[in-house]
Amino acid sequence: MNEGWLALIQQALSLLFSLDPEVWSIISVSFAVSFAALAITLLPSMVLGFLLAFTRFPGRWLVTNLIQTLQSIPTVVIGLLVYLLLTRMGPLGDLKWLFTQKGMILGQMLICAPVLVAMSQAAFTSVDRRAWETSRTLGAPKLSAIWAVCRELKVPLLLAIVAAFSRILTEIGCSMMVGGNIAGVTRNIPTAIALETSKGDFAQAIALGLVLLVLALILNFALGTLRGKAEPRSH
Amino acid sequence: MTTNTAKIIAKDLEMRFEDKHLFSASKLVFEQNRVIHLQGDNGCGKTTLMKLLAGFYQPTKGKIYAEGFAIAPWWRSNSITGKALYLHQHPYLFEGSVLYNLTYPQRFLTADKAQLQARTEQAIDKAQLRHLLNQAASSLSGGEKQRLAIARAWIIQPKLLMLDEPTSNMDKHSQHLVLQMITDLKQQGTGMLISSHQTCMLTKVCDHAWLVSDKTITTDNVSTLKDTEPTQVELAPALQVSAG
Repeated sequence: MNEGWLALIQQALSLLFSLDPEVWSIISVSFAVSFAALAITLLPSMVLGFLLAFTRFPGRWLVTNLIQTLQSIPTVVIGLLVYLLLTRMGPLGDLKWLFTQKGMILGQMLICAPVLVAMSQAAFTSVDRRAWETSRTLGAPKLSAIWAVCRELKVPLLLAIVAAFSRILTEIGCSMMVGGNIAGVTRNIPTAIALETSKGDFAQAIALGLVLLVLALILNFALGTLRGKAEPRSH
Repeated sequence: MTTNTAKIIAKDLEMRFEDKHLFSASKLVFEQNRVIHLQGDNGCGKTTLMKLLAGFYQPTKGKIYAEGFAIAPWWRSNSITGKALYLHQHPYLFEGSVLYNLTYPQRFLTADKAQLQARTEQAIDKAQLRHLLNQAASSLSGGEKQRLAIARAWIIQPKLLMLDEPTSNMDKHSQHLVLQMITDLKQQGTGMLISSHQTCMLTKVCDHAWLVSDKTITTDNVSTLKDTEPTQVELAPALQVSAG
């Protein structure tokens, strides 16, 4: 049994290090789609988080709770929603994005936006108000003061980005429904792992799983280092 | 009459937090070449008044406006925020070194870089921060933080400066260093508003006084009151500013 496992891991590593085109095509689809979704969503989500933390308007409570709720919606439900939007009969059917990377990006945007908004709102809410006031009183224009506040919050904001990226890189429900798991086009790491496991081809599934594991390790160690460097603040 | 003296004027001021009436004043003028001791008991609203003049809060009633400052370019707002420099009771220092914090505001200034550099060097010596320059600002003691914050203000040479309970964290040595910088700024014409609920080394440089008491802000010339305990000051009725 142990020898079988070792052989599988050996095969998996060989697939990765021999730059197997199929494995690396899957990895590149995964990263391309998830990076695009994150890049498009990042700024508007952070701005919304900032506004929810610093402004008061009617319905703010409702919006905040709605975003909290959206965080916990299963990705397969978001997949279903995007599928219904993009299907030929759906309101966005003319875009012909179903079973394309664009469709997957749209789905992943809907998955990562609530995480980014909620976590950045929490970060901005926790900020010491004196950071904003000090920056402004020292002559900083509003945008520079916002940047100064973000700089003070770099750890919680990066944590929000990492959490959102992890969620979309590893989600399977939406990618499977909207992307359709088409080899070389929409097959990403989670859908490929599910497929290869069902086929009994564990080596490829393990190789792809290792990529996710290594990425998780790198991100967490990097964040841990950053968090360790950040000095606790006191009066 | 229009003069070039930079000032912040509050007219028909009233400040409330929900139902709580904090204070009122019919007219307050905070201007260059005047050093004002803002007196009042804890919780009477001294910090709130300073934050109103700094543009962080909006008054419940009345208006606050600035005169004698350069008009901001069209892409920047002409609000009063940034006109009078406000130093918190516990100064906020950004994450980074002491030097980073000292030089932080210089990017927003149009002054000559060489001149700023020279003033920075002088400020470092005046505040005795040279041995701490590369240290994380968060690791400084309360007095060192206060010295850094005031040195940062000294470099900018603001037209108006507000210090909120500046001596609350400082030992005698730090107070002396800060007093020196404050005296310099006074000689350079910086208008200052120094809040303190008791007299201290720094309040001795004040030549005027504002007293927040009974929900009213009263103004008077401190030179006639120097030997009197601030809380026992009897203010001339003619100078009373109240919008009760």
